[in-house]
Amino acid sequence: MRLPVRRPLPRVLVAMGLISVLALPAAVPVAAADPVVLRVGTVQSLDTINPYLTEYFIGYEIFGLNYDLLVGYGPNMEPAPGYAASWTQDGTTWTFKIQPDLKWSDGQPATSEDARWMIQKLLDGQKKDGYVGAGYLDPYLTYAGVTAVTAPDPQTLVLTTTTPNTQILTSYLPILPKHIWEKREIGADPNDAPVVGSGAYQVAEWKTGEYVRLVRNPNYRGPKGYEDEIFFQFFKNEGAMTEALKAGDIDYARNITSDQFDSLKNVADIVPVESSLGAEANAFTQLNFNTYSKPIKGGGASTKALQDPVFRDALGYAIDKQALVDKVLGGHGLVGSTIIPPAMAGGKWHLEPSNPRTFDIELAKSKLDAAGYKLDAGGKRLDREGKPINLKMVVPNGSTTYSASAQFITGWWKDLGIDMTTQALDNDAVTALETPPEGDPPGKADFDVVIWNWAGDVDPNSLLNILTTSSIGSNSDTFFSNPRYDELMLLQGKETDPVKRKAEIDEMQQIVYDQAPYHVLFYDAALHAYRTDKFGGWALQPTEGGLPFFGYGNRDYNLLTAPAPAATPIPSVAQVASQAPGASSGTGAVATPVPSATDGSNAATTPNTALLLAGAALLIVAVVVVVIALRRGRTTREEE
Amino acid sequence: MGSHYLSRRILQAILTIAGIVLLNFVLFRMMPGSPDRISHNPNASSEARAAIRARWGLDAPLFPDQFVAYLEATAQGDFGQSFKFKGKDVTEVIAGRIWPTLILFGLGELIAIVVGLVLGAYSGWKRGGVVDYAGNGASLILYSMPYFLLGMILLVIFATALGWFPTAGMFELGRTYPTFLDQVADFVHHLILPLAAVSLGLIGQYSIVMRSSIIETRGEDYVTTAKAKGISESRVLRGHAVPNALLPTVSLIGINLGFIIAGAITVEVVFSWPGLGTLTQEALEARDYPVLQAIFLILAITVVLANLLADIVYGRLDPRVRT
Repeated sequence: MRLPVRRPLPRVLVAMGLISVLALPAAVPVAAADPVVLRVGTVQSLDTINPYLTEYFIGYEIFGLNYDLLVGYGPNMEPAPGYAASWTQDGTTWTFKIQPDLKWSDGQPATSEDARWMIQKLLDGQKKDGYVGAGYLDPYLTYAGVTAVTAPDPQTLVLTTTTPNTQILTSYLPILPKHIWEKREIGADPNDAPVVGSGAYQVAEWKTGEYVRLVRNPNYRGPKGYEDEIFFQFFKNEGAMTEALKAGDIDYARNITSDQFDSLKNVADIVPVESSLGAEANAFTQLNFNTYSKPIKGGGASTKALQDPVFRDALGYAIDKQALVDKVLGGHGLVGSTIIPPAMAGGKWHLEPSNPRTFDIELAKSKLDAAGYKLDAGGKRLDREGKPINLKMVVPNGSTTYSASAQFITGWWKDLGIDMTTQALDNDAVTALETPPEGDPPGKADFDVVIWNWAGDVDPNSLLNILTTSSIGSNSDTFFSNPRYDELMLLQGKETDPVKRKAEIDEMQQIVYDQAPYHVLFYDAALHAYRTDKFGGWALQPTEGGLPFFGYGNRDYNLLTAPAPAATPIPSVAQVASQAPGASSGTGAVATPVPSATDGSNAATTPNTALLLAGAALLIVAVVVVVIALRRGRTTREEE
Repeated sequence: MGSHYLSRRILQAILTIAGIVLLNFVLFRMMPGSPDRISHNPNASSEARAAIRARWGLDAPLFPDQFVAYLEATAQGDFGQSFKFKGKDVTEVIAGRIWPTLILFGLGELIAIVVGLVLGAYSGWKRGGVVDYAGNGASLILYSMPYFLLGMILLVIFATALGWFPTAGMFELGRTYPTFLDQVADFVHHLILPLAAVSLGLIGQYSIVMRSSIIETRGEDYVTTAKAKGISESRVLRGHAVPNALLPTVSLIGINLGFIIAGAITVEVVFSWPGLGTLTQEALEARDYPVLQAIFLILAITVVLANLLADIVYGRLDPRVRT
């Protein structure tokens, strides 16, 4: 009986030969006409290039390149010219002057009519459905209180607001071209490439899960970056992304882990950036209690103690926040206090509480004793109903910082006589457990404690709103309800005097700190890294403590230059900081290309032909040896 | 007789696929959470989320409304629209991601079958020889090593440290190719490391099974008889031992195809390979039911077909099961 099993070896040879033959032309040098390409790595995969549908930060970064915001952001996150070149406020009337001679990337004129149409579209959508698209961007119009929009002439846009506030200046409103979007549904259109916008770079190609490619907008009004194209490459794992950065396969890595960050500190041509004030650091990690006040059938908190501010306050003394920053974040972060991060708008709104809690287990114990939470004979802390307190903590499993923090806190609270079990679930499952009966669909608020985070805007509104009574059922994950807080929320929204608004927001932060529905554990630093051998001119936003990319308004992409011709051994962060002011003045933008420098770096990133050939040869030799060995083995046997 | 065996197997395969279609619907919807609550953005109102659910048909009762709609659509080959990649059809999302996985794992499986079986057969036959010691030792290490670790080791050594291969993706970003052949070359250059990770792991597995299977057949009477007849050693191996030893290995390969997706996720994650594995991960995170259903349906059909194929090959190899 003849069987096909005999023939595999020659086939392997053929396969190996084929592979090596195919590998040979990899040696062909890169064509000289290749565009200058900037490659940015991120572990977040893009969901859509429609600005009004995206739910991810990466989506914001990409639409920020495609489109101008009505009002942009400057080097220190201050309002800066965007689609509008200038503006004036007269009470509740805002007059914007659109950038002169502005063009869309397809050559059509971009005028105030496009902006009017866009904003009217959002207002109409809000009136009809209550939201537009994913519902993330239109709330800015609500915060600003915009009620009407007109375009008296092609250069002028007039907005009417309910109160004379200034929140329109911190709104994130990308202006889309009317002639393209008139026929499209904003809430459903995928905005397939090629994209038409007025931003510096336009999406030309998107391969889901692989990369998105942006090409220079020839009609862009502002400074031209050195790069002709920008790729965002989607990684699934920070380790692989860090390796790609080290190998020079990407020029920028966004959000690496603290270990990887530390490992990059002394690598040539790589600058790791730790930012506590950049847009991506505008977030906090909190421990939130389930303070829901009514009984929930088959759910709810395990003890009424969580509804007691005194109890929650006492537990705060048994959290060593500095230890969490040192041990969980590897020192890359700030100790947390209030719900407005120091990174928001350059520290403009953050309040350090007047009465910070110190880490003191004994003090926590005495506070609990005094409030009537006694220990039983077995050393277990009892609630006022006389039931031992056993807390159920839930954390998202996406990041180890949550579960690591949970471990430390469980240990400290055990010293108080309070046992806590932790369950790590994915984001979605945690959200489901956090949903109260007011939610849609209704949930059971089946948890005691959660550790998670929230990211903020340039304006404090969105973070402050989470803890209002009206957010119970949507974003509130603690079900906090405080009449004074709710009142202040409305007051600060209408406030025209920035000093008064700051005072009101300070009071809100202090209320949350004192009442402790949240213990803000820390403000994680954002850890990014970039290479200096292909590009120079890296600028930070904000200029002190900020990040090069993933900021507000995406101006920093337009400031890149050719790399410094002299080989810098190990660029220090100080050097970068000194580049920033020059770059922010806009002078660093128009760079003279240095072709030789790029060719050099291209050669470094293309495969080493000799080594590749050697590898292929080695493979073939190995296979041949095996074949010969087998055949010889066979013949000797046959001779026997 | 033979056709009866075949038709029974085919009927089984069809029933299995039908069962999977039903299971597919229930499976993902049993996961806690809902696709409208993926992002943790404080701006998202509950109104907007309710509307999103309505648009996706998730506001209707699971049974019978959603279920019937799902069955109707699936029967017509309509997988619907992706939840995550808004405004894109599931077929469009998946189409771009099938071929990278197909090439990577098809080729990896092929290399592993050939090399693994040969290595296993040879080391089993020459038990205690140099090839056996070296091959079996290496196989055990490779077999027990998770793909993720193996991939990361390859990545750190051959891509970062030596710089022989690229670290991520299928093509060099931003490169223009003078000819199609250059593009193929760049692809192969990117393919080698992930392919090595896939096939090395599988080679270990196949060679270990093949080796022990060969060792078993070596002691069989028919092998002794064949040797006694004076047939050469290599002919005994090829004509008598291998065909019998192949049986368990064929089953293993058939079953193995089902585990490919598990391997695909880890290997693709390490090498940022834009295939079905990474898509599955993205879709799971986003609770993208339509994409998950389609991927799992494709996988299920692949596994069922592979098993059908294994059954048919088995039938050819072993006349006893052909009834």
